[in-house]
Amino acid sequence: MTDKILIVDDEQDFLDVISDRLTARDMNVSTASSAIDAIKKIDEESFDAVVLDLQMPEMDGLETLKIMKEKNPDLQVILLTGHATVEKGIEAMKLGAMDLIEKPADLATIVDRIKHAKAEKIILVEKKSESRIREILTRKGW
Amino acid sequence: MSNKIDPLGEAGLQFYSKVSASISHEIKNSLAVLNESAGYLEDVTLMAKKGMDVNMERLESLAVTMLKQVQRTNGIVKNMNRLAHSLDDPASQIDLNPLLELMISLSERTTVTRGFKVSAVFSDAAITITTHPFFLENLIWLILDFAMTVTGDAKTIAMIPAKTESGAEINFTGLEKLTGKSFNDFQTERVRLMLAALNCKLQPNENKGILTIHLPKNINQPEK
Repeated sequence: MTDKILIVDDEQDFLDVISDRLTARDMNVSTASSAIDAIKKIDEESFDAVVLDLQMPEMDGLETLKIMKEKNPDLQVILLTGHATVEKGIEAMKLGAMDLIEKPADLATIVDRIKHAKAEKIILVEKKSESRIREILTRKGW
Repeated sequence: MSNKIDPLGEAGLQFYSKVSASISHEIKNSLAVLNESAGYLEDVTLMAKKGMDVNMERLESLAVTMLKQVQRTNGIVKNMNRLAHSLDDPASQIDLNPLLELMISLSERTTVTRGFKVSAVFSDAAITITTHPFFLENLIWLILDFAMTVTGDAKTIAMIPAKTESGAEINFTGLEKLTGKSFNDFQTERVRLMLAALNCKLQPNENKGILTIHLPKNINQPEK
């Protein structure tokens, strides 16, 4: 099944070329050049993973991550950053980021993290389905 | 030896570090685009070797992107170099127009990230003074940082340089929420020391939302 991902970065040139490369790797890629646009997109669609730039104008990556996680706690977010400081990394993980990758990143690393994010999402969905089934079984007394 | 940190030195180092951090972020962003572009070329080469069609138009646009990023990085490095050389002499003759242009570039990442737009209304003629370029750049940096806390809803700040009888001035406009109290709070020890080192004065105009730096023609001959 194709991985459905959203890449968020204010660098349009970066978005253009990385989406071409990931599309060539059989991924279904959407892009957003601002945090507001990205939040709108996650409201409208479901993604296996979101690759989010940490530093963006108007709303930074951590703030965006927080809003995204409030809207969808199961969303798998991978942060991209120019300089990964330990403090930022810890803050990002506390807010629920799955991973933090430093720019410029090797595409194979990004692809690997996206695959991992998708696997995590599947586990979460399966766990939810399982608990829902258990709840129905308990309620109905079958 | 005194344990007290020199406030001017500390302010200068903080300014330089912030600019360096911002510049390295910009360079990293540019490198990320170049890195992906090189990767794309690798992908295309592999596809071509397998006999797949190559999109020549995409390759052309990629070359344009790469050149643009190289020019962008070159501009960033040039600005860094100009800032570094502004510490060469304690007093040198400068034109305020290019200095303000430099300050807009150096502060752009910080101001844009905070949602502000900083511009300058450049004069057609050179506005030349003899001053300490680094201290002046540091003072402008601090004023911009302060200005962002007192602008109106438009979140825009314009720097307007002008020649005066005694030297020159730089007007920071758009500071609609500027008050006597906020101005006093801004004048910390480091700011006062910087004004003294530059032999210049700061003048607020709360009614018009303008803060003006009055600079002497020559740093060694204070404005009267």
